[in-house]
Amino acid sequence: MGTAPVREVHDLEHERFLEEVHSFEFWFHSVEGYLSGTTYGHREETVDDSPSGAVDRQHLITVLSNYCIGEMAALEGASGLIAIAPNQLTKIFLSTQVADEGRHLEVLLHRMRDLGVKYPAQEADRRASRGLKQFRHELLRLVQGRDWEAAIFAQNVILESLEFAVFRAHAEGADPVTKEILDGIIKDERRHIGFGENELGRRLHAAPHVRTRLARVREELDHLILDMLEDSSREIGVEPDRKAELARAYLQSVERLGFT
Amino acid sequence: MADTIDAYSIQNWLESCPQSYLMDTEYGHGPEEKEPDFILDNEVVLEETIKATVQLVVGERCALSASSGLINAAPDEASRRFLATQTLDEARHVEVFTHRLYDLGVKKQDLEGTIQRYANPNLVKFAEILLEKVDRKDFVSGVVGQNIVLEGMAFSVFEMMHAMNEPVNAKFAHTLSGTIADERRHVGFGENRIGSLIQQHPEKRPEVEQMQKEMSYFMLATFADAFRNNQTANELEAAGIERPHSEYQGVDLGTMEPEEMEQVLADTVLKEFKTRLGRIGIEYQTPARP
Ligand SMILES: [Fe+2]
Ligand SMILES: [Fe+2]
Ligand SMILES: [Fe+2]
Ligand SMILES: [Fe+2]
Repeated sequence: MGTAPVREVHDLEHERFLEEVHSFEFWFHSVEGYLSGTTYGHREETVDDSPSGAVDRQHLITVLSNYCIGEMAALEGASGLIAIAPNQLTKIFLSTQVADEGRHLEVLLHRMRDLGVKYPAQEADRRASRGLKQFRHELLRLVQGRDWEAAIFAQNVILESLEFAVFRAHAEGADPVTKEILDGIIKDERRHIGFGENELGRRLHAAPHVRTRLARVREELDHLILDMLEDSSREIGVEPDRKAELARAYLQSVERLGFT
Repeated sequence: MADTIDAYSIQNWLESCPQSYLMDTEYGHGPEEKEPDFILDNEVVLEETIKATVQLVVGERCALSASSGLINAAPDEASRRFLATQTLDEARHVEVFTHRLYDLGVKKQDLEGTIQRYANPNLVKFAEILLEKVDRKDFVSGVVGQNIVLEGMAFSVFEMMHAMNEPVNAKFAHTLSGTIADERRHVGFGENRIGSLIQQHPEKRPEVEQMQKEMSYFMLATFADAFRNNQTANELEAAGIERPHSEYQGVDLGTMEPEEMEQVLADTVLKEFKTRLGRIGIEYQTPARP
């Protein structure tokens, strides 16, 4: 037998890489580093310096409400995607994502409870923006339509990139407990974005016509995302010039896949 | 509801498995632990072991589809989050049993082919009955089918396998003890959550009972195939290897005929079903014996 063609060798290495990063084992060792010793997303000794003024407190609760609905959408999306995932490896990765999104939802609801909200899930639903709820609805529609590429694009690229940009901006100026919670979530979201880019990058390479379909999905969802960015920036108190930066951070993720 | 949130929270899950019994494991066992030579060196025993492990992968794949599929059917947040942890547990089980197949010499590219070749058709039927309920987003039937019937079966099968492996295969016994700990949580959730739902939806009872009866039949048929056609005991005897005298449900597995072992397992699982179903207000239905 001669040596395998270069492409095959490369594919094999890539397979091995995916096998590793999409496994439970990989997830387990990743989260071990930043979740051990935390309770509901933060260390117990972290001083809770949450806003004491009524207005600021309400503001934070509204922001967290939106995050909760985003995480609910991600939990529903990721769990629904397991049914249509093309192989065992992607099913396993999505299962780790399901647990991550469930955790995000849990720590955020818990944070709302800390801030005095008695029924956080109901409150989140009451306060969250219409655009976000519409996005949640659209995402579920794509998942139920069993459109793997479009649903992964909407969830692991668009939604995750939005969350990543917003959480990072918010964490910078947040109170210590909220910051720790967000920092932990951001680490998870980075893995989810990586999965989306990897999964779609390969598919776009192999079947360029998928790009046209995804561009249409993006067109439908982009205005919702940019509206949500606008809302979130206002609520987390982002300066106008940083707002553009936020939008850029979101757009960059989408552009990495070749969408301009 | 507050108690349910705490007991079934992701926080509780993080503390009870990743930060406890999964610490320092690799694919469910110690990094140094290996499959024993008496399996790897004997073709017949190896094939039987692969065949048995395939059934575990099939069962766990079904549990993964069911637990993830039920998240969007769950009527409350706490159940959703519990099912999120269960989804991850089941994915882990799929992964560790798949890795066992690799350790037994199955090539990665032959994984699906091996599963197709050896998957027991009765077990596939068993899974289909449950997944049909999940597909219809029928939460009550889905949770009974999954967290009581499927998990109850898995729990007893794992315990029996654990008893048989502990003296001779520390690696696989280790893998099994972690999965048993997970399944115990899953069964507990089924009982606690579904009891009140059954009370709210008494009209679901006949359908749930019928499902349990059908699933139980295919479970027994799977057991029958697994024990009656198994060559392991004969092969070990021919090779002069004494079977370990493991105790399970008060009997010595090392001296029993395969048919007797089948009987003990079937009786144990069905008894468990009866008790657990009774606790949630479902009348146990005796299945036909294959
Ligand atoms: Fe998330
Ligand atoms: Fe995420
Ligand atoms: Fe399992
Ligand atoms: Fe389970």
